Amino acid sequence: MEGIIVADGIVKRFGDLVAVDNVSLSIKKGEIFGFLGPNGAGKTTTIRMLTTMSRPDSGTVRISGKDVYGDYRSARQSIGVIQQLNSLEKDITVRENIKHHALMKGIPSKEIKGRTEEMTEVMGLGDHLDKLVRNLSGGWKKRASIVCSIIHRPRILFMDEPTAGLDTQSRNALWKLIRKLNASGTTIFMTTHYISEAEALCDRVGIVNKGKLVALGTKEDLKKTVGRFAVESVDAAGDTEVRYFENRTDAKGYSDGIDDGRSVTIRAVSLEDVFLELTGRRI
Amino acid sequence: MAGFLREVYGIAYADLAFLKRNIVTTLISSLVSPILYLIAFGYGMRAGDTEAGVSYIAYVVPGIVAISSMTAGFSSTAQKILIQRLFHSSFDEMVLSSVRISSIVVGKSVIGMVRGLMGTSIMLAIGCLLTPELILSAPLILSVVFCCFTFALLGVMAGLLVDSTPTLNMVTSLVILPMTFMCGTLFSIDSLPDFAGKILWALPLTHSSQLIRSFALGHGLEWVSLLVLSIYAAAFFAIDHYIIRNQKY
Ligand SMILES: Nc1ncnc2c1ncn2[C@@H]1O[C@H](COP(=O)(O)OP(=O)(O)OP(=O)(O)O)[C@@H](O)[C@H]1O
Ligand SMILES: [Mg+2]
Repeated sequence: MEGIIVADGIVKRFGDLVAVDNVSLSIKKGEIFGFLGPNGAGKTTTIRMLTTMSRPDSGTVRISGKDVYGDYRSARQSIGVIQQLNSLEKDITVRENIKHHALMKGIPSKEIKGRTEEMTEVMGLGDHLDKLVRNLSGGWKKRASIVCSIIHRPRILFMDEPTAGLDTQSRNALWKLIRKLNASGTTIFMTTHYISEAEALCDRVGIVNKGKLVALGTKEDLKKTVGRFAVESVDAAGDTEVRYFENRTDAKGYSDGIDDGRSVTIRAVSLEDVFLELTGRRI
Repeated sequence: MAGFLREVYGIAYADLAFLKRNIVTTLISSLVSPILYLIAFGYGMRAGDTEAGVSYIAYVVPGIVAISSMTAGFSSTAQKILIQRLFHSSFDEMVLSSVRISSIVVGKSVIGMVRGLMGTSIMLAIGCLLTPELILSAPLILSVVFCCFTFALLGVMAGLLVDSTPTLNMVTSLVILPMTFMCGTLFSIDSLPDFAGKILWALPLTHSSQLIRSFALGHGLEWVSLLVLSIYAAAFFAIDHYIIRNQKY
C-alpha cells in the first residue's frame, strides 16, 4: 500500500546550494516518523516542500495518493503544520489568532468557541487567551501555535522541532499530546534535535545530512547497522572514542584490553551512535 | 459565494482585529495627510480659484479623496504582507490553510479598503460641508471603495514581490508618490504639455480621480475611467493570483 505521504526524488536549490538533494520518503498511515539531522541539513526545507509551502525544483509529493501541487486545497485540508519559527500574528491576542485560523480552515462559526475551549484546556492556555502574542514567553507562544495548527483536526500533523526551547514540563505535556493525537489516528511527521525524543516517540526515523537522506528505517533496524554494544572510552583530555560490537563478549574483551588509564563504559547502541556514524558529528 | 466570503473574512480577520485594537491611532494617522493637502492646496495656494469650471475646493477634494484611497489602499496592504512574510512568517499560514488563492488576494485587500474608507469618508464629509458643489451619493462611495480595492491589489503585489522595508519605501517613492501629484488630483492634466498628458492618462490614479470627481460633482458615471480602472484591477488581481499560486514570492 502506498504511504500517506510520499516524496519522490524531491530537490530544492538555493543558488548553488542544494538544500534538499533527491530525497524520497514514504510515510505510513498512523505512524510517528522522526526526521533527524544537524543544523542546516535540510529538514525545514523538506517539510516546506511536503506541506505545499515551497515547490520542489524537481520531484513530486503526494498526500493520500494525490499530487499536492495539483490538488493543493485537498492536500492542505488534511494537514496541520507547526512551523519551526513561530508563525502567529504577534500583534493580536491568542484568542484572535485561534479564531483567524479556525475561520481560514473553514470551521463553522458555532463550533469555533467549543473547539477553542477544548484545545486551550488541553494546552493549559486558559490564562493567556486574551494576551497579545508578542507579550507571551516562547513556550506559551509555541503552545498557542500548536492550538492554531491542530484546530481543524488534521489527519497528518507536521511538526518542525516542536519541543525546541520548551521546559521539561511543557515538553512532557507535548509528548503526551503527540501520543494522544497519534493514538486517535493522526499520522505524525516530526523533526527533532533531541535523540531521546526520537527514541521515545518515533516508530521510524530518517536521518538527513547535507540535504541527503542517509538512513531510513525503524529505530532497531538503524541501530543494527552500527552494532549492538558501544564501548566508549574517554581520555584525560576529555576526548571520546567509541567502538561498536555485535555482542557483549567482544565489547567486554575490547574494554578489558584498554589499560592506559582511560575511563571506559559499555552501553547499548543508541540512535545517537547511528547519527554519529552517518554524519560524523553529534546532533 | 458564501464560502468565498467566509474565506475572505477569515483571511482578513487578523488584520481587522489588529485595526480594532488600534482604531484611534489609525484614524488619526489616516486623517493627517488629507487634511494637510486640503489646507495647503485648497486654502494656501489656490483659495478662490476655479479649475475645470468649478471652485478649486470642489475640484481638489475629490482629488484628495482619490489620493487617500490610493495611499491607504496600497500602503496598508503592502506593509501588512511584507511584515507577515518576512518578520512574522504568518503569510505561510494563509497559504497552508486550504482557502482559495483568490480568497487570499481579496482577503488581504480588505484592510486596504477599510483603511481607505476611514480616511476618505471623513474627507468627503468635510468637503460637503465646505461647498455645496459636492454631492455625497452611494455611487460615489462605491467608486471610492473600488479605487481603494484596485490599489490594495497593487499593494498585495508589492508586498509579495518586495524583500525589505527600504525596497518597499523605494517603490512607494517611485510609483505612488509621482501619481499623487501628477494624475489630475490637484490640478487638471489638461494644463500640462500634450505628451505628458497622454502618459498620465494611462495611469490608474488619473482614472480614480476622474471617476470619483465625476460622481462627487454630480456629473454621473465616467465610463471610460471605470473601464480603465477595471482593467487595472483585473490585471493586478491576475498577477497577485499567479504569484501566490506559483509561489513566486
Ligand atoms: N530561503 C532560503 N534561501 C537561501 N537558503 C536557504 C533558504 N532556506 C534554507 N536555506 C539553506 O538551506 C539549507 C537547509 O536549511 P534548513 O532550514 O532546511 O535546515 P534545517 O535542517 O531545518 O536546519 P535547523 O536544524 O537549523 O532548523 C541551509 O544551508 C540554509 O541556509
Ligand atoms: Mg529547521
